Amino acid sequence: MSTPRPRWTAPARRRLAAASAVAASLLLAACGGSDGSAGSGSGDTVTIGTTDKVYALDPAGSFDAGSGAVIAQVYATLLDRPAGSSVLKPNLAASAAFTGPKVYKVVLKPGLKFANGNALTSQDVKFSFDRQLKIASTNGPSSLLYDLDRVETPDATTVLFHLKAADDQVFPQVLASGAGEIVDHTVFSPTAVTPDAAIVAKKPFAGPYTIGSFTANQLVQFRANPNYQGILGKPSFPTVNLKYYALEDNLKLDLQQGGVDLASRTLSITNLDSLSKQKGLTVYHGAATGFRYIVFDFKTQPYGTGTSQADPKKALAVRQAVAHAVDRPGLAAQVYKNTYRPVYTFLPDAVPTGSPVLKGLYGDGNGGPDKIKAAAVLKAAGVTTPVTLQLQYNTDHYGASSSDEFALIKNQLESTGLFTVKLQSTDWTQYAKQRVSDAYPTFQLGWYADYLDAQDFFQPLYGKNGFIGNHYEDPALIDLIDEQATTPGDDKRAALSLRIQQALAAALPVVPLLQSSSNAVADERVGGVQETLKTGGLPFGALKKAS
Amino acid sequence: MTTLVEAPGEDAGAEPETTRPRSRGLGLGRYVLVRFLLILPTVFVLTTVVFFLMRVIGDPITAAYGDRLTAAQLHQRIHEAGYDRNVLAQYVDYLRDIARGDFGTTFTDHVRVGSMLTTYGTATLELVVYSLVVALAVGPVLGTAAARLRDRGADVALRIFAILTYAMPVFFVGLLLKLVFAARLGWLPVNGRLTTADEIELEVRGHKSGIYLFDAMRAGDGPMAADVLQHAVLPAVALGLLSTGIFLRLFRTNLMSTLDADYVLAARSRGVGEWRLTTRHAARPALVPIITVMGLQVASLLGGAVLTEITFEWKGLGYELAQYLQARDYVAVQGIVVVLAVIVAVVNFLVDVLAAVIDPRVRY
Repeated sequence: MSTPRPRWTAPARRRLAAASAVAASLLLAACGGSDGSAGSGSGDTVTIGTTDKVYALDPAGSFDAGSGAVIAQVYATLLDRPAGSSVLKPNLAASAAFTGPKVYKVVLKPGLKFANGNALTSQDVKFSFDRQLKIASTNGPSSLLYDLDRVETPDATTVLFHLKAADDQVFPQVLASGAGEIVDHTVFSPTAVTPDAAIVAKKPFAGPYTIGSFTANQLVQFRANPNYQGILGKPSFPTVNLKYYALEDNLKLDLQQGGVDLASRTLSITNLDSLSKQKGLTVYHGAATGFRYIVFDFKTQPYGTGTSQADPKKALAVRQAVAHAVDRPGLAAQVYKNTYRPVYTFLPDAVPTGSPVLKGLYGDGNGGPDKIKAAAVLKAAGVTTPVTLQLQYNTDHYGASSSDEFALIKNQLESTGLFTVKLQSTDWTQYAKQRVSDAYPTFQLGWYADYLDAQDFFQPLYGKNGFIGNHYEDPALIDLIDEQATTPGDDKRAALSLRIQQALAAALPVVPLLQSSSNAVADERVGGVQETLKTGGLPFGALKKAS
Repeated sequence: MTTLVEAPGEDAGAEPETTRPRSRGLGLGRYVLVRFLLILPTVFVLTTVVFFLMRVIGDPITAAYGDRLTAAQLHQRIHEAGYDRNVLAQYVDYLRDIARGDFGTTFTDHVRVGSMLTTYGTATLELVVYSLVVALAVGPVLGTAAARLRDRGADVALRIFAILTYAMPVFFVGLLLKLVFAARLGWLPVNGRLTTADEIELEVRGHKSGIYLFDAMRAGDGPMAADVLQHAVLPAVALGLLSTGIFLRLFRTNLMSTLDADYVLAARSRGVGEWRLTTRHAARPALVPIITVMGLQVASLLGGAVLTEITFEWKGLGYELAQYLQARDYVAVQGIVVVLAVIVAVVNFLVDVLAAVIDPRVRY
């Protein structure tokens, strides 16, 4: 039996229409008034977006870029750099100088206060450094204080830093680093990392800003600190909001829609390129503070000491041939659209005393590749070509562009006819372990500045038990590095730095490729961005209202 | 994974309660007890699987600090954190802590997992509720229309719509909605749960329950409540569409079945109007199977919430789960997954109980 086809009756249609109208009006009410943006605030407020994360607000418990971006705004160091300058100046200090080979004396400005009203005295300074060393957090920067023996406080404004080594020229840089943030001794634990909530509640801040509200990795509101007496002066923006994003594409959209005024860290090359074409937005490139390089494992590289054909001269020739053949400007332009730049030494541009020592020694003399020289150096050493190179790289730590970067390197090397490159990538967790267990004959690495001194690119990398761990050992070089760290006088240190760079260029334990810089994108309301990026960070206190 | 339901349960909802034979299954109390006890092995198995899977993908110390530490330093810190201990010993400790209600402290940002779960769990709950509202509002309405317009062009279109919304990945739907209604047309916000200013105001007021709509309404702040709803529209629709298709097809099939039932024909012959016939006589019984499916849908929605939260920067448990997974933070991931498992198990338990109360035949 068939059922008669149901029909909508007139009352049914009216009811449906009424229900639809109600639903539509509710939706419109929900949509009403939206400008499609997240709202960036008034003229006194600037909203900054980032894809970084905060791991801890305690300076003793974090040493990462995301936490550092917050910490740098709310705490202050004894010495600091003015916006746009790489020269250290007294910040909380009124004066600072060596008073003996192993004693560095700092006199504090009078009347210093934290945002909570507590006086900032030498007791707080001693407390801050003592707790760094005591806590020695896995995640903290205490390792930078390797040369600090003890801190003495003769009076409320005088601090004497007693050092282990004489004439440690790096120590002032360390005072201006993340290890030198001064905290309130009445708020922080002397023996443990203090929880974020306790810090936010008690406002132990001496930096340009205090934290008004804090929801970790969601939203932080900074308010100008009325008690700040540092070198940046009164902030142009009394309020700064910092919004966190999981996806850089979402950050980009909010930037385009006006929900965010400034984006710093970390937009991809593609997004930076796209945003640079949008009216009203400006892309800024900061000074280079990091560099990327290929490491040769001296044991397992072709002709390495652990191979059946061990031959140091041939091994060096292979490294030199790679240095001759690699096209750095090509990498920078094709892979990174020149947001990364070629590097011809072992220091990035933002670090003083760098000299392009590789330029004259390798390639065409102008920074380009030279396959004839590459072939010549291999022939002179009696190396049979093509040389097989096993080249390892990583995509989840140094960025997805690493795939393109190393594909191009393979192409560059193989196009000379001198190399056969076997390219492989590995997940970072495995990569970090395997590279130091001689699993990779040649591999990718990167390094960024903890402080802007050449020592940060020499001692931790090539010193005893250095980070690179490729079995490159040169006692003479280590002596030079130690001497550079303890020789007073900028000129003498620069001369030693040059000698170190020349020694590294001759031995080539690594082949530097590119230098990386921090980037930012800002709308028309925000000025002063270029100056803030010159030292690699983004001090909110140095941002200006655009005229 | 739930499947699209084409056929209704045997004469589901077709008979009045009074004509049903008395259940010969378990009593309600015993049924509830058995169902409740089944939660424990479910959660235990899931917890175990997650624990060992996390160990397979590598240690978090290397993931976090491998670019700045020498091999010796790395080894020392792995040792200090206890990640080089026997995995079984770690597992026993982990189970013991969970049994005490201690989910630990996240490795990467030192947050108590318990407090994180309450902070972000409410955000996810809010999103899931909104999306359920969308699914339950749209699915049955369209299902009714499809049943009434059976085999016509509109019915075919609605069925295709149901398949498409079920088949399309939620992040893809979310991205499309966002690009069209937020980025292109500018009708709705692009990201987040609130505008920055409102979010800060809520924070400063300091009485957050975590459910923003509730917080705004409790503060009597109409514009803020509207702001919450504006931000919720696209994520809720994106996630809600995931279940809409299932509800649509389920409701259509059940409704068609009940519309053909004798008691509906009898009502029609008495002159009852089609609208009343559909809403009063046929729709109510057709809703019963949806209650059962809703339980399964909560699991789907929680899974979909992870992708939706990331797509829309909705800072909930799914969003956090993705962040902690990236950082290989064992403690956080394990805590979040266990809580999600408990939520799904409890919801299913409640749905089973509800179904058993409504229809005694389901008590085994």
